[in-house]
Amino acid sequence: MTGGVVAAILVAGAGGSILRYLTARAFASNERFPWAVLIVNAVGSALGGMLAGLAHIGTIDPNLEVVLLTGLCGGLTTFSTLSVETIQFVTLKRVRTALVSVATNLVVGIGAAAAIYFWLIALAA
Amino acid sequence: MIRDLAAVAVGGALGTGLRFSLDLAFATTDDLFPVSTLIANIVGSFVLALLVAKLWGPSPTWARAGLGAGLLGSFTTFSALAVAVVNLIGVDQWMLAIIYLAATMVLGLAAAAFGLWLGSRRALRSGSDDAELDSDTVHAEMLTE
Repeated sequence: MTGGVVAAILVAGAGGSILRYLTARAFASNERFPWAVLIVNAVGSALGGMLAGLAHIGTIDPNLEVVLLTGLCGGLTTFSTLSVETIQFVTLKRVRTALVSVATNLVVGIGAAAAIYFWLIALAA
Repeated sequence: MIRDLAAVAVGGALGTGLRFSLDLAFATTDDLFPVSTLIANIVGSFVLALLVAKLWGPSPTWARAGLGAGLLGSFTTFSALAVAVVNLIGVDQWMLAIIYLAATMVLGLAAAAFGLWLGSRRALRSGSDDAELDSDTVHAEMLTE
């Protein structure tokens, strides 16, 4: 792996982080449900599933895959904000919001990644 | 606003670099646990929780943006977790996928709870007048990040 690839991973990570930050700012006034984290995690996981599917059927350059997967998707999605906000909702006695948030992140995020991954593999078969 | 975005970009690049270094240090294959992602998500949850409870109140916006949304937001990842679970299912390792997912959720949430508890406890000790008020501020600050 060249230094250029590592630099591209870092730049993509910074870009993904800025997109996530702007999403959070856009939803900052809505305290009923943590929409921003759900949106970035769903979009990033769907993109991640697509990249993993393309890698599996061998139609993507490995360097481009790691830049987009580790850099862009990794920077765009987050686990720490999800976990901290979930515990904060629990301490605010909003247990139902905490449970729904975790459940939708898991179902929508992993569901989207799985659907696109297995669809791409079925298409190539 | 520009300063906040610059802080997020720098923090985001650093967090991504740290996560990528962990990936290289704990190389894995599709049919094994991605230990690096598990470590990043647990450690990142703990550190963010600690910062939120202990430092968020007196910190300027750009510092919160750079450390929270930037460094720790990008150090931890949800897409790598989703892809890891899908890869494990793809090679029929259902049990490993479930164990990996459960370990991430249980340990990650426990790390966040421990960090918030430890941070607010230390804030209390360092002479904060009203710990209850502090922890309310913490919630508001975090949710409007």
